[in-house]
Amino acid sequence: MTREALLVRTLVELADNLVDDFDVIDVLTVLSDRCVEVLDVDSAGVMLAAPGGELQVVASSSDAMRGLELFELQANEGPCVDCFVSGEPIVNLELSAVDDRWPRFAQRAVADGFHSVHALPMHLRGITVGALNLFRLAPGSLHDEDVLVAQALADVATIAIIQHQASVDAAVLNTQLSEALNSRIIIEQAKGKVSEASGLDMERSFQRIRNHARNHNLRLTELARGIAAGTTSIVGLDPLPRSPQVRAISSNPWPGREAPAS
Amino acid sequence: MTMPDDRVSAIMARLAFHEVDGSGTLALCEVAAELTGASGASIMLLSDELARGSLCTTDGVAVHLDDLQFTLGEGPSLEAHARGCPVLEPDLALHASVRWPVLVPLVVAAGVRAVFAFPLRIGAVRLGAVTLFRDVPGPLDDSQYADAQALAVVASRTVLALQANAPPGSVAAELEEGANFHFVVHQAAGMVSVQLNIGVTEALVRLRAHAFQTERSIDDVCRDVVERRLRLDGGDPGGRGAPTVIATDG
Repeated sequence: MTREALLVRTLVELADNLVDDFDVIDVLTVLSDRCVEVLDVDSAGVMLAAPGGELQVVASSSDAMRGLELFELQANEGPCVDCFVSGEPIVNLELSAVDDRWPRFAQRAVADGFHSVHALPMHLRGITVGALNLFRLAPGSLHDEDVLVAQALADVATIAIIQHQASVDAAVLNTQLSEALNSRIIIEQAKGKVSEASGLDMERSFQRIRNHARNHNLRLTELARGIAAGTTSIVGLDPLPRSPQVRAISSNPWPGREAPAS
Repeated sequence: MTMPDDRVSAIMARLAFHEVDGSGTLALCEVAAELTGASGASIMLLSDELARGSLCTTDGVAVHLDDLQFTLGEGPSLEAHARGCPVLEPDLALHASVRWPVLVPLVVAAGVRAVFAFPLRIGAVRLGAVTLFRDVPGPLDDSQYADAQALAVVASRTVLALQANAPPGSVAAELEEGANFHFVVHQAAGMVSVQLNIGVTEALVRLRAHAFQTERSIDDVCRDVVERRLRLDGGDPGGRGAPTVIATDG
């Protein structure tokens, strides 16, 4: 396959991942695998910032690469860490020349057989969310065009992740709203059933359900769901306590407080 | 033609102006109608393909349109939500009676001649629909159409942004203010389910049918049930207890 064909396939693959069953790890694994195929590099890996801000290894093109990236995080020094902190690309750093910059990382990477390292930031609108690591075994530098392609692939993956995050947030909020409305509806249904079966008004019916839930350490929504579905017997609900206050002003649903003006 | 982002910004600016009189989500409906030359508008929340209720309505006709859709389970807002794309009927009297056979004669009788519903959605997440209507037939022009779509974006974001600050398990107070989630209908469904010894879902169907047959708003019918002025089992609302024979309401 030509390089252009490989690139197009990669972009299509990344875009495909956006549609159904989106998985961040899948997208970034595709990204690191294709970097090795398309670019003149031997290993690639991606680190992303966790919600707390610390970097995590998310995808690697090989186990050796994964081990080296984990080492980089433990030592808290290396191209990915610096790239993430500065938000600037690190290109064509010969490992032999960075002994003083990353003494522990350089020693380990050279021991693994790597000659040069590159790290490209993954950022969108000024926020750096992670970094793409590219390592070469052979001496010599990465072509400018390869750097551009790598950055483009990293940008596509970043957009995919951020779009996904926004849509997850929206889905979570929408589910919360929908569930909150459903709970309210179920409670209103249960109130109606208790009201019809016991002759209490809606407010007193609600108090009876709430009172029973408290007495038996049940969640209000769960008890209401049982009543509405007919699996919880209304007759079996604890009767409301007949405190003198309640008897004295039976129309006041808030004993101890003034009755609202009617 | 202006870019969508500019339209969104323009709508935000208008909303900021509206917010001065503290109208909450109502401003969304009013701006929607103003921008698109509609005689009125509503925003309906839907989930699990069911209408939950209206977040806001500009006027009595909008209330009527939403209530009919809630009662009948058909209409442009439900369809826009279900299909995830705009549903446009520029002349209700001409074509639409095939699409929504029960609804259309009723809304035309209420003076609605054209209706346009836009889904509220963010990516794959669907929240409901904003619905515009007119008392004269005729399509939306390109600019009005673009504004309606931009407004649907703003409304979707607004609903979720407001809900983001709600206490866990509850609907945001700002969303409830001015909204009608038909809680009285669900209370009545509970009562009728005991009266007729049926499930609450079937009770809701009976209440909807009763409202339709008696040509009354479903909220009014259900208020009568809750205040014990109406029973669907044929019993005497003044007396206590259901009769032993379960009556049908057909």
